[in-house]
Amino acid sequence: MRNATYVKMALNMLLHSKLRSWLTIIGIVIGVGAVVGIISLGDSMEAQVQSSLADMDLTKITITPGYSGAQSRMPGPGGGGSGSDSSSTDSELTDDDVDALQGIDGVLYIDTQISGSEEVDYAGETATLSIAGVDPQVWQYMNTLEVESGRLLEPADNNVAVIGSSVATEIFDQEIGVNQVITVNDKSVRVVGVLEEEGGSEDRKVYMPLDSAVDLIEDAEEDVFDSIVVKVEDEDLVDPTIEEIEERLMISRQIHQEKDRDFSVSSSLSMAESVTEMTSSMTLFLGAIAAVSLLVGAVGIANTMFTSVLEKTKEIGTMKAIGAKNRDILLIFIVNSAMVGFVGGVFGVMLGGFVSTLFPYMGITLMKGAGSSSSSLSPDLMVFGLGLAILIGVVSGAVPAYRASKLKPVDALRYE
Amino acid sequence: MLMEIADTLRTKLDPRKTLNSLRGDADSSNSLTGSGPGYDSGNDPRNDSEPELHKERTDNSDTIKSSRNGKAPLIKLTDVWKIYQMGEVEFAALKGIDLEIYEGEFVVVLGPSGSGKSTLMNLLGCLDVPSQGTVSLNSRDISRMEESELAQIRGQMIGFIFQSFNLIPTLNTLENVTLPLEFQEEEPSRARERAEYLLDVVGLSDKHKNLPSQLSGGQRQRVAIARSLAVDPPVLLADEPTGNLDSKTGDYILEFLDELRRKEGKTIIIVTHDLTPVQYATRVVHIKDGEIEKIEEVEGNYCKL
Ligand SMILES: Nc1ncnc2c1ncn2[C@@H]1O[C@H](COP(=O)(O)OP(=O)(O)O)[C@@H](O)[C@H]1O
Ligand SMILES: [Mg+2]
Repeated sequence: MRNATYVKMALNMLLHSKLRSWLTIIGIVIGVGAVVGIISLGDSMEAQVQSSLADMDLTKITITPGYSGAQSRMPGPGGGGSGSDSSSTDSELTDDDVDALQGIDGVLYIDTQISGSEEVDYAGETATLSIAGVDPQVWQYMNTLEVESGRLLEPADNNVAVIGSSVATEIFDQEIGVNQVITVNDKSVRVVGVLEEEGGSEDRKVYMPLDSAVDLIEDAEEDVFDSIVVKVEDEDLVDPTIEEIEERLMISRQIHQEKDRDFSVSSSLSMAESVTEMTSSMTLFLGAIAAVSLLVGAVGIANTMFTSVLEKTKEIGTMKAIGAKNRDILLIFIVNSAMVGFVGGVFGVMLGGFVSTLFPYMGITLMKGAGSSSSSLSPDLMVFGLGLAILIGVVSGAVPAYRASKLKPVDALRYE
Repeated sequence: MLMEIADTLRTKLDPRKTLNSLRGDADSSNSLTGSGPGYDSGNDPRNDSEPELHKERTDNSDTIKSSRNGKAPLIKLTDVWKIYQMGEVEFAALKGIDLEIYEGEFVVVLGPSGSGKSTLMNLLGCLDVPSQGTVSLNSRDISRMEESELAQIRGQMIGFIFQSFNLIPTLNTLENVTLPLEFQEEEPSRARERAEYLLDVVGLSDKHKNLPSQLSGGQRQRVAIARSLAVDPPVLLADEPTGNLDSKTGDYILEFLDELRRKEGKTIIIVTHDLTPVQYATRVVHIKDGEIEKIEEVEGNYCKL
């Protein structure tokens, strides 16, 4: 029997199959859709992580007050300068701590920061924005931020601000330009720089010199910081420096036991690592769920094929009587189940593509800048999804098809 | 030529008269079904040039009893038993059958229901192998053959006609008739031509696209006959072919088979509990409880019962 004939017979079977067998295709559709969608999600998350890592400064170490084991191991992705409101502790970071950190090998700069959410008025509108007070002596050397217009903060600055791109162009109806004056907590602040678009929360921030910010931010005190940021020369120095910092702060804060510890040290490097780790373990976890749904789909197809072989017993007998060999029957059924898989795969890939376009709306934007990456399926992934579906069709159809091929013609013909 | 027969059958003339009128020119064409687009019998086991077969034939030539114009029997059953195992119990459906069937015979196997007719037909048609004894086709013992060899023989030597027609319900008429040729890997365009021709012969040229469910019982059986003729096999096996048909359509089918024997020299074996086919038989084999009761040789063309 020719290959074309197998395809013809299998297609004929497929086109005449009952609604019930079409329903079991749904299992494969969902399974393939889930796998394809999750792989595409994983890919786009990884791409996001990679791109954020690419422009992330991995030589920064951030010290925050308060300590919990979990926090230091897995800092929130918002890190890098935002305050620690996660731990209920009244410990503070002060000038003394900064002094204790002086003179560590490989440390380039130490920045002290405070932060808060305050009302900002501009041209009659009010918005609550995150205000960061930074050390104007070192801040400009410690970050990778670039100005769109104007300049970064300088040591002599007072009552000025550098604003994120969203603050400048989106939040207020009227665009804020350099040298415009905004009002923060009823105090006038002149804008000296507008940052380039970064994507994410950075764009909605207002940076000010520490001294000015202390006056504006409620609860802020002189020489008390929400975070201390240390920049080292090289990524390799991050881990030893963290150890050194922890040692020194334990001594200067007179903490003798780990359980009394009241500060946390984290680095953008370890954060990046843990985010990568989290992303991949999440992909793996979701992938496992998808694999289960694929398995369910495979069982569904196998079940349908068994039923279909049973229903077609007499036809199989007839075909054998008029000259079909076991191999002919085997291949007709295998090709048929491959086709079932293929159809399931086509719809599955479509479903996967559809679902992956929904990710941005489902808040699965772990990393900043996720909104901008379009998550359409790659051709490779589509081919993979289809191939997977066909493979599952063939595998789950193999046993029923083998059974069909081994039916004895007499028995098959007697079957009613 | 076969078309003429078909035409006259369709006009419900007495086929016996038709036969007489056709007999004269029947000799001028030796194969009627073959006169249409032919089935390529290149790897046909009937072909004497096939080395294995030829060898076997010469080896056995001494032992073959010459009878019926000195020819060896087409199908020969020697002390054939078929025993079904049903749990602990063994049941002998056939008990030592000896039977020889020759080319060009119209054999009717007659017996009550449950007498083992279908079991016998399965053996004659290479659908099954005996529990004991030998079945040989063209002097080849098929009793110990592999399923794939049996399939090959069935596909080329035997045309089956079933009581319940056994058409593939999802294939249309033309596709059903083409199917046996597809199993023989006939070239598609030739297979199609052949199928069209055969549907013409059975008077269904306007029903190519119909599914079996869109045909009457008689029409379905005609499709089944066309299918059984697709590979132009020398033997046609029919198990109660008229059992599901009214007597008029049944007669048409039987007359058609009779014509095939006369014009094409086909060997026809009908298995039935019904007396109607007996009038066309050249030999009637009476079977009861798995044993041959008697064999009636029929003088002349028709059995007079
Ligand atoms: N596969 C089988 N298993 C067990 N018994 C069978 C089987 N096939 C046929 N028989 C028995 O063998 C006997 C003959 O059956 P069958 O050849 O079909 O009779 P017929 O066709 O003459 O009516 C019956 O009694 C039947 O029950
Ligand atoms: Mg029967």
